[in-house]
Amino acid sequence: MLTKQLGTYGGAHPTLLGEESLVRLNPKARLFVTIFCVATLSLCPTLVSPDGKTKRIDCDAHAGPCVAYLEATLVSLEMSPKPVKAMQELTFTLGIGGEQPAANPYIDLGMVGMDMGRNRVNLTPEADGVFRGTGVIVRCPSGRRIWKATVFVPDVGSVEFVFDVVY
Amino acid sequence: MLSTETIYFVVLSAGFALGFGHCIGMCGPIVASLSLSMRGRKVLVPHLLYNAGRITTYGLLGGIMGVAGSFTRVVTEIASIQKGVMIFAGLLIIMLGLAMGGWIPLGRIFGEDCAPMGFLAREFGKMSETRSTVAFYPLGLLLGLLPCGPVYTALVAAARAGMEATHSLNGFIIGMSLMLCFGLGTVPALLLVAKLVDLRWLRSREIIYRISSVMMIAVGIYFVVRAIRY
Repeated sequence: MLTKQLGTYGGAHPTLLGEESLVRLNPKARLFVTIFCVATLSLCPTLVSPDGKTKRIDCDAHAGPCVAYLEATLVSLEMSPKPVKAMQELTFTLGIGGEQPAANPYIDLGMVGMDMGRNRVNLTPEADGVFRGTGVIVRCPSGRRIWKATVFVPDVGSVEFVFDVVY
Repeated sequence: MLSTETIYFVVLSAGFALGFGHCIGMCGPIVASLSLSMRGRKVLVPHLLYNAGRITTYGLLGGIMGVAGSFTRVVTEIASIQKGVMIFAGLLIIMLGLAMGGWIPLGRIFGEDCAPMGFLAREFGKMSETRSTVAFYPLGLLLGLLPCGPVYTALVAAARAGMEATHSLNGFIIGMSLMLCFGLGTVPALLLVAKLVDLRWLRSREIIYRISSVMMIAVGIYFVVRAIRY
């Protein structure tokens, strides 16, 4: 038995992590070590991908509004105050050009590559083609700073803006 | 707008989904460390107590958010505490890893057989198994304060619900209920991690404990570094 060979808990063993000892592990133990190693690596995503940079930032939210076409509709999203910081109240101003939606649009805030739960900003009409609402971008202890705002325009579709926030 | 009952269900299911998607990654190392440090003892009751403590803290935070009606105001107040808790969590994991690897004479911190070497070891040794099991509840209370993105998101929802409440008590109850639902949703995933890391089925555990202890120390250092930079 490996337990006997290694001695009791706390006892020193010179070849504890050596190749010989690992070879002697029973299949279940080997499976456990493998799963544990893979899990730990995946559990610390920031070690593998320090800032979630796999997805490109397509909007400089600190400089001005994020703009995109949703089919033929021009959609602009302004976040203020600037710079856009996490953990503070933000005002989201959405501009929709052309034909106006039948219902109020809304924004879902989320982190790129990490599920943070549903964080919805409900918008209300402020003027013709302008909708406004408040929300908070929360801070992730992992240190990742890249977020996305998915704008949903009823009966038209959705458009996604990817940007970074300041901690 | 969603009805109150629908919001509770949404938050509960969000907690469940995030438990498997997010909490396993961010809180899994803590839960795994606690399970591993028990070295073969039954993990279910201690982890239920740990989760009960964590959910209690969530509920209280949700209630406060509901009364305040402002996420940012409350979070600003508790930011320094959260940083301290994150450092504590890291140091706890490091200590558990060192003790499990036999590098510090603490024996099983949450276990029953401490080597009586030194003051700390003697003090830990005085903790009976029952008392050490009960200790998981206050530990959960404390670690419920760990900064966590999905918890923040749920707290934002609690604060919003509080804003729409007719009076403070109503806001407190709604905020607390929302966070209790969220916390309950996260329990299955963390219990699963606790059970998966329970090694009683293994015949040759010592080498696993040694490898795990090294990994725990690494994860603990990662937590402390993250906390300092937070």
